[in-house]
Amino acid sequence: MKNLSENTFSVPFGPQHPALKEPENFMFTVDGERVVDVKIRLGYVHRGGEKAFEARTYTQGLYLVERICGICAMAHQLCYVNNVEALIDIEIPRRADYIRTIIAELERIHSHLLWVGVAGHEVGWDTLFMYAWRDREVVLDLMELTTGNRVLHASNTIGGVRRDLTSEMISRIRKGMKLLKERTNYYKAMIPKERTLMKRAVGVGVLKPQDAVALCAVGPTLRASGIKRDVRRDDPYSAYDETPFDVITYDGCDVASRVLVRVDEILESIKILNYALEHLPSGPIAVRLPRGVPAGENVSMVEAPRGEDIHYLKSNGTDKPERYKVRAPTLANWPAVGAMIKGGYIADIPIVLAAIDPCMSCTDRMTFTEVNSAKSWQWSRDELRRYSLKWRGK
Amino acid sequence: MSENKKEQEIVEALKAKLGQSLLTARIQKPRRIFATVSPSALTDSVKFLMESHGLRHLATITAVDLGKDIAVYYHLIGGEITMNLRADTPKTEPKLPTIVPMIPGAELYEREVYEMFGVIFEGHPDLTHLILPDGWPENVYPMRKEWKTDAIKNEIAKALGEKLE
Amino acid sequence: MAWEVGLLALLSTLIYPGIIFLVVIALFYQWVDRRFYAKLQNRYGPIYTGPRGILQPVADLIKLLAKEDIEPSAVDKQIFRAVPVLILTMPLTALFMIPITGTWALASFEGDLIFIIFLMTLIAILAFLGGWSSTNIFSTLGGMRAALQALGYEVPMAVSFMGPAILAGSLSVSKIVQWQASHGLWAILLNPLGFGIVIVAFLAELERIPFDIPEAETEIVAGWQTEFSGRKLALIRLALDLELVLASGLVTALFLGGPTGPIPIIPGIAWFMIKTLVLVLIFSNLRALFARFRIDQMVSGSWKYLVPLSILQIVMLELLLGWLSF
Repeated sequence: MKNLSENTFSVPFGPQHPALKEPENFMFTVDGERVVDVKIRLGYVHRGGEKAFEARTYTQGLYLVERICGICAMAHQLCYVNNVEALIDIEIPRRADYIRTIIAELERIHSHLLWVGVAGHEVGWDTLFMYAWRDREVVLDLMELTTGNRVLHASNTIGGVRRDLTSEMISRIRKGMKLLKERTNYYKAMIPKERTLMKRAVGVGVLKPQDAVALCAVGPTLRASGIKRDVRRDDPYSAYDETPFDVITYDGCDVASRVLVRVDEILESIKILNYALEHLPSGPIAVRLPRGVPAGENVSMVEAPRGEDIHYLKSNGTDKPERYKVRAPTLANWPAVGAMIKGGYIADIPIVLAAIDPCMSCTDRMTFTEVNSAKSWQWSRDELRRYSLKWRGK
Repeated sequence: MSENKKEQEIVEALKAKLGQSLLTARIQKPRRIFATVSPSALTDSVKFLMESHGLRHLATITAVDLGKDIAVYYHLIGGEITMNLRADTPKTEPKLPTIVPMIPGAELYEREVYEMFGVIFEGHPDLTHLILPDGWPENVYPMRKEWKTDAIKNEIAKALGEKLE
Repeated sequence: MAWEVGLLALLSTLIYPGIIFLVVIALFYQWVDRRFYAKLQNRYGPIYTGPRGILQPVADLIKLLAKEDIEPSAVDKQIFRAVPVLILTMPLTALFMIPITGTWALASFEGDLIFIIFLMTLIAILAFLGGWSSTNIFSTLGGMRAALQALGYEVPMAVSFMGPAILAGSLSVSKIVQWQASHGLWAILLNPLGFGIVIVAFLAELERIPFDIPEAETEIVAGWQTEFSGRKLALIRLALDLELVLASGLVTALFLGGPTGPIPIIPGIAWFMIKTLVLVLIFSNLRALFARFRIDQMVSGSWKYLVPLSILQIVMLELLLGWLSF
């Protein structure tokens, strides 16, 4: 990479770019159509989450944590309640564990289907996008049925879940799963045969297993490099210690493998869902809590649709956490993206970026916008004007 | 405690390896270990845990403002074990050795801690802004406890105002 | 009576089957394309403006024409302003040489097929110029890709055009149509491969999936069109719609017998519409089927497969002609 030819130039990717659904900035140095280097700048959707947690009670935090990300809302919330429940040291009812598992898996299917569509869109195959997103509606409808919301489900509470599953809901979920299984099997059979898609995916964005480990990649990105790691299996939470499922890995290390891992994971999720619905224990869905959260610290992990999501909680015995740290899976995958993109083509950037299923909102989660006393601070009109003046002055 | 055999093993090995440098170590519950080491022994212990016990995956780096000190946690994972390795550094002059040469994936996490808490990671290849914008006022570390919203707001206004002239 | 002839010529140039008629069917085909593409993707497509949304393309055109025309200060003004106008005239001019109502086109001369190929090359060059004059990084990349892509598809396309020309012994589109009409034989029957190659090449010429590389949205925003807005964009979009008519009209004329058919009662214009509509549907269908190629895959694929195949087609045709001793 030392002797760059003279006609290298920088192509900005974002903060606003059609390939990015959320703002983030990548500066690519390209030589013709080849990418030689990439620089990542984050922070465009920083909302001050971590600082805001310190100013909120544990119950308020429950709803704040969901808003880290609209797609993996359940994963973040699950991680949060696991943390708080571990500190309080309560055992929650088994039925609540199962319901959490069901909602989390529904969310995974929704996220993966969404991703399959986006992957199609990134390589210019909008038909796949339309089909996958149509099927995703099935899951979203089920989400609405079970939790009351299509996104930001607010289904968990500290000590259990907020809504029970009725037998009618269960039969509707079963029906939806039957349809989705059929559709997913169709995608699974169709995708490897679709040559234009495979031409854009096989051998593109290669992440070797040793690099994946060294760069601390997580989730489907890691599993597509042949590393068998899944928090659901390694560090089981909720009902995952009882539900049988396979950890899907592929050895291609490329975008194609990342597609196939996700499609297979949808099928695994359907398997988990069917098992959980079958073995759903009866009983209460929540327990009453003792007052307050004792001082202490805890780390909890959840396998979000995009990979391992880790939260750290330090409590000082008051009703507000001393420190709450969130590391969403996307942040863990950024270093790997650099390795995947260097040496590739500009045309491959969108699909390689998309292949880790980036969630910028997850990545960015703290600034100065909201702090103590739960008062929110926004740019006043005056400040906005000055800010814009500063920009125009350039 | 036969169920926590592997956890015990790691703690014992760490004790033997580090001796005095290992300040505390406890098994919080199955699969979770919390240990504190002195900053000078940080790189050695990370290397030891990686190589001897396969804790190769760095989940993240968390910093906590303790008032006088800043505690930095390295969440190392291998298989089902999660090791939360902690090193404290004084807030007046927060400094820690970098672990990027051993774990390249730590780069962004160290930059984040640097920005938010002002911890200098010595030897880091590119310790620059990652999340906060360019032109962010110097010595404003938003996640430290002493920085309240209004104070940060004033600093930004000052930084912007100066640039307008 | 000279003025009457002159008036008739003027009217046929301006109204039917000239500019206005061409613009109307260009917009109509855009609607057909959008509706069909939407149907294939489980969507509705335009439905609100006019019956079944048929007026949507007109509404879009008027909307764009009425919008603010933003001209970035860094652009090369003369070229930037000229490109939309020029790019609109290219397919319009080329369409005058394509028989639409009968076996004769509005303008016809020996070698007009070569002229049409030249005009289509100019479209790609104009796309490059448009991108280059925008000085935007995405536009520049898009323009470069448009030019590169033209290198890929033009040779096989031109070679494939020669098949019907060899049959008719003429390089005039009108004469090729007449030959097919008088022999009662469509050139596609002797040039099936050439037909396929031309369809693929036109997908690239029209910048449609899987060859929408110069305007690949997820990679380089809108490619060479990124900086164009308002009236300029309206003209460019209209030019692309006219290109679709040109593509289907040219394929109809060269391979499908032009505006003639086995049932003589049906007028030529109806035959033209039927055949071009079928081609538009084929283009839409292909658009829904594929993912986008990369520029290197497109160019190398074209030289590896399309060029040899198009030459093979000509050789086969010559052998066939020798055997049949036409």
